[in-house]
Amino acid sequence: MPGIAEYLILGAILFALGLVGFLSRRNLIVIFLSTEVMFQGVVINAVAFARLHHHMDGQVFALFLLVIAAVEAGLALGLVVLLYRRKGTLDAEAWSLMRG
Amino acid sequence: MTSMTANLLYLVFALGGAGMYLLLPKENKRQAIAGAVIGALAVVGLLTVLAARVILPDETSAFFYLFAAIAVLASSRVVTHPNPVYCAVYFVLVVIAVAALLVLQRAEFLAVALVLIYAGAILVTYLFVIMLAHQGGSPIYDRRSREPLLAVLAGFVLMAAVAGRAEDLPAPVSTSTSPVAVPTADVEGAAAQPVDSNTAAIGEAVMTRYVIVLEISGVLLLVAMVGAIALSRKNVPVERLAVPTKPIGHVGREVEPY
Amino acid sequence: MSVETLKLCGIVILLAPLAGAVIAGTLGPVILRGRTHWPAILGVGAAFVASVVLFTQVRGAPTDETAAVVSVYEWIANGTDSAFRVEFLIDALTSVMLMTVTGISLLVIIYSRDYMRDHGQPERGYERFFAFMALFVFSMCALVLGGNFLLLYLGWEAVGLCSYLLIGFHYGRPAAAAAAKKAFLVNRVGDFGFGLGIFLIYLTFGTLDYGAVFQMVREGITGSGDPLNTGLVTAIALLLLCGACGKSAQLPLHVWLPDAMEGPSPVSALIHAATMVTAGVYMIARCGAIFASSTVAMTVVAIIGAITALFAATIAITQTDMKRILAYSTISQLGYMILGVGVYAADAAIFHLFTHAFFKALLFLAAGSVMHAMGGIIDVRQFGGLRKILPWTFLTFLAGSLALTGFPLLSGFFSKDEIIHHALMVHPVLGVIGLITALLTAFYTFRMVFLAFFGPQRVPEGVHPHESGLWMLVPLFVLGLGAIGAGYVNIEATGRGFHHFLAPVFEHTFVANNPAHAAAHGAAGAEHLGFWAQYGLMIISGAIAIVGIVAAYVLYVKENWIPGLIRASAPRSYRTLWNKYYVDELYDASVIEPARQTGRVCVGLDDYLIDGLLWVITAIPRGLGYLVRTFQSGMLQGYALSMVAGIAIIVLLVFWA
Repeated sequence: MPGIAEYLILGAILFALGLVGFLSRRNLIVIFLSTEVMFQGVVINAVAFARLHHHMDGQVFALFLLVIAAVEAGLALGLVVLLYRRKGTLDAEAWSLMRG
Repeated sequence: MTSMTANLLYLVFALGGAGMYLLLPKENKRQAIAGAVIGALAVVGLLTVLAARVILPDETSAFFYLFAAIAVLASSRVVTHPNPVYCAVYFVLVVIAVAALLVLQRAEFLAVALVLIYAGAILVTYLFVIMLAHQGGSPIYDRRSREPLLAVLAGFVLMAAVAGRAEDLPAPVSTSTSPVAVPTADVEGAAAQPVDSNTAAIGEAVMTRYVIVLEISGVLLLVAMVGAIALSRKNVPVERLAVPTKPIGHVGREVEPY
Repeated sequence: MSVETLKLCGIVILLAPLAGAVIAGTLGPVILRGRTHWPAILGVGAAFVASVVLFTQVRGAPTDETAAVVSVYEWIANGTDSAFRVEFLIDALTSVMLMTVTGISLLVIIYSRDYMRDHGQPERGYERFFAFMALFVFSMCALVLGGNFLLLYLGWEAVGLCSYLLIGFHYGRPAAAAAAKKAFLVNRVGDFGFGLGIFLIYLTFGTLDYGAVFQMVREGITGSGDPLNTGLVTAIALLLLCGACGKSAQLPLHVWLPDAMEGPSPVSALIHAATMVTAGVYMIARCGAIFASSTVAMTVVAIIGAITALFAATIAITQTDMKRILAYSTISQLGYMILGVGVYAADAAIFHLFTHAFFKALLFLAAGSVMHAMGGIIDVRQFGGLRKILPWTFLTFLAGSLALTGFPLLSGFFSKDEIIHHALMVHPVLGVIGLITALLTAFYTFRMVFLAFFGPQRVPEGVHPHESGLWMLVPLFVLGLGAIGAGYVNIEATGRGFHHFLAPVFEHTFVANNPAHAAAHGAAGAEHLGFWAQYGLMIISGAIAIVGIVAAYVLYVKENWIPGLIRASAPRSYRTLWNKYYVDELYDASVIEPARQTGRVCVGLDDYLIDGLLWVITAIPRGLGYLVRTFQSGMLQGYALSMVAGIAIIVLLVFWA
């Protein structure tokens, strides 16, 4: 039976993969999708800790995390649509006005 | 983890990093194929290392490795696939794999909630938006990625840093198949009621200890809904500006003007 | 002499002109305008009255108390009892100098009231002029009254400053500005040596007080009681001589005085004839103890004086600018005075200073009168026969000229004769040089007179000459009387004569060390040689003066084709003299040009080396900024990348270290 370490490693891997996607993709939608992947990693970790401590807090935390993810997805996609309408492209490089 | 296992783990991470780097969207097809091969190798290596730790693998652990592999492979494809629709679909796969892992950890309610909300609602929304903002063909921003080397480096170093320390925790106390969700005595000292299903446990926790959070998340959802509607009603002037040809922060890579 | 009276007189002499200067400078431009000469006249007049009072005090003093040191206040305390005080040394020499300075200054300032006007209206800068003149009088009095070397140096520099300000009075004229700069810089060269001499005095004797220093020199000890090295005394004397050469325009630092004629005529009269340039002579006379103890120094002084006198006289015979002629004449007469102190005849030198002040100031003011009448032109080739048009100017000019040449029975006769007399006793060669110079002096002086005032009447184009007003003529008359009669103050018949008056000052210094004196008279007192030697010399010098005048008459009035012939037959000599022996060109090539080159090198260094260094230093922040700017991509993902990198590092450091 895998101990907690494996789940934590897995959570870290998923989180890191999502992070890599967030940092390197240029399509706005894929950036947010990578954020969702990061969420998955966090969920795994939260539940693993819950199991370690024999407490429901981790799972409750993961549940509300789900709520937040949904909220964030909704608003983010609304913004992406607006941005797309403004510039006609989904490229994140188009938004570099604060360049210094 | 013994230090040998740790070093092997880092080696696997390095291999995985190389694979990821090669897989991230590029113009070069051959690199993608090479990346896929290396990535697959890395996943196999990961599983082996993780398996090597456990003295007595049993049938539950096999499922863990299976779904873990699916999750890692699928999420790497989410991140590296040039076509955003494929990214979304692979993400569904990730969700399913994570849900399975949650079931393995006796968190059934959460697993089903995950599938329902993510795969059902959020992903559908994503797909809608992808269709809405579709630009036809394969635009440049899908074919190229931004500073892949630095991103992979940063991400994988962080991963290794965190994962390398994942050892320092006591092994789980019970390996029984009883529902994990046994509410132990609270700090407050309320009488513990044995419950017999995960859903009941979650429901009990949410309704008693976390009821305020529940209410707040309801308000949050309401606010988000109102906000999304407000956003979508905005009339945005179209502004097609030329973007500088030399991308900022990159050295020597071209960006096409819009 | 009561110390209180002396102190009061000294303070009045110093502060009255200074107050006049301040009032003229501050209230002049706003309130007084055309009446600004009054503060100057009143201030200097008060100083003159005070110096007369001082003189009576000194004259009436008993014979064992002829000098007084009056301390006013302690200026710089240096912890020992040789602190620097503002104090006056008042003796016969001081009182003679003060009366000369304040008296002549008063007359010149009165003259300037009309001179600095253009058709009755005050010139631009009228107020500035009188302020500077009064300031000059203050500075000169400070120089003379000072009781220690510090005050001497202060006054010395201050008169140099006033000279600069007044030569460059018409600062808009480039020639005047350049002349002022030249005067100041050449004086600086001399003052450098002077300053070194004063430092050496302080190092050797530990004090700058006249009395203490001279006492120690006479006793042959230094400040710490060790025996005094005579080489050191010679060195000090020669360094002080540098200053005298600069200030009194002796060779080789004489070049500034002819150029200083760019200043207005009153300035030339006061500063460059009667008072400032005589400061060098005064200084050597005052430091008699130091100079007279070193025969080497005295010889050098005498030689420089004689050579300068001859040198300047030879140049003067070719010049055509009246003021230039007078300037070279001044240099030549100063050479006489320096020669005088060099042959242990300090009292004769001071006497010549006294008479020279009268007739030279007179000549300059009269030349100014001519210049005013001729509309600013002073070149004797451009006018002639002015004696009918400007009768009074002519008379006074004539009086001054006769005095200058040493015409018998006029003031110059007595004083110049004394110096030549002593020169013949100590260094006969120099005495002969003095006689030759006297001949040349007579010649060039009357060349000037005949060219300007005799011959056919000529005036430059468009000029309507008129005689000057009373404000200018009265000082000319007073000076004329002085030029004629000043010599008589030395005659024994008038009671205590000049030499007698000055004797206590010099008897322990010049007179005591005079080798010829000791050899000829033993300890019998201060009488000069016997009848024939004394009167024979008088006859010879009188004859020389007349010969010179006659020669000038012949060459420039009667047969005035001769000068042209001479010029044609010795063209190179003529050109050398006309170009002042090319001394200025020599200095330009040997000193000024290298200085300019150094300046250019420094400019190059500054531009390339220092500015380059600065550029390198500024390039560092610029480069850094350029580097840092690349991180500010404006892209969210770029910033996120930096954040992740940071988090990774922190995790590594915290959890792994």
